[in-house]
Amino acid sequence: MASEEESTVKEPLDLIRLSLDERIYVKLRSDRELRGKLHAYDQHLNMILGDVEEIVTTIEIDDETYEEIVRTSKRMVPFLFVRGDGVILVSPPLRTA
Amino acid sequence: MSSGGEKSSATTKTPADFLKSIRGRPVVVKLNSGVDYRGILACLDGYMNIAMEQTEEYVNGQLKNKYGDAFIRGNNVLYISTSKRTLADGA
Repeated sequence: MASEEESTVKEPLDLIRLSLDERIYVKLRSDRELRGKLHAYDQHLNMILGDVEEIVTTIEIDDETYEEIVRTSKRMVPFLFVRGDGVILVSPPLRTA
Repeated sequence: MSSGGEKSSATTKTPADFLKSIRGRPVVVKLNSGVDYRGILACLDGYMNIAMEQTEEYVNGQLKNKYGDAFIRGNNVLYISTSKRTLADGA
């Protein structure tokens, strides 16, 4: 294992495999975030997550003051299938949370 | 077929060569949504799926810091650019 040949170069998906059975953070389209345990995934980034917390962020703009009101709503889902085309980013959980 | 004004970069002729050459470098990844990610490129594939380290997310200003690995699905990527990134002393 001294030198890496190009045929054994790791892909990003190989590194996601290291996160199997670990808790991960997933950023989805439509301003949604998930935190849960990764049970399975595939090349489309379809994923099976367990013990999931979903956070939906909405921004309202007040008609009069034009201030931005940021709201988040959370829900817990014990078992979840995520379709891969909605996934933006996958990462180990944020430590600052 | 190269018209005047092009650098003669004999090593990177095709996009695939570029992708092979930028591993380990600090990069800027811009998504279709306009969000900016800056970090060190760990690896990437032909779909432009990306794995990065020490990633920072910029939307207008700086939003979140992601330490460790960040995987970005390739269909969201607008471009990948190398940068002379100066490591900002944060915490």
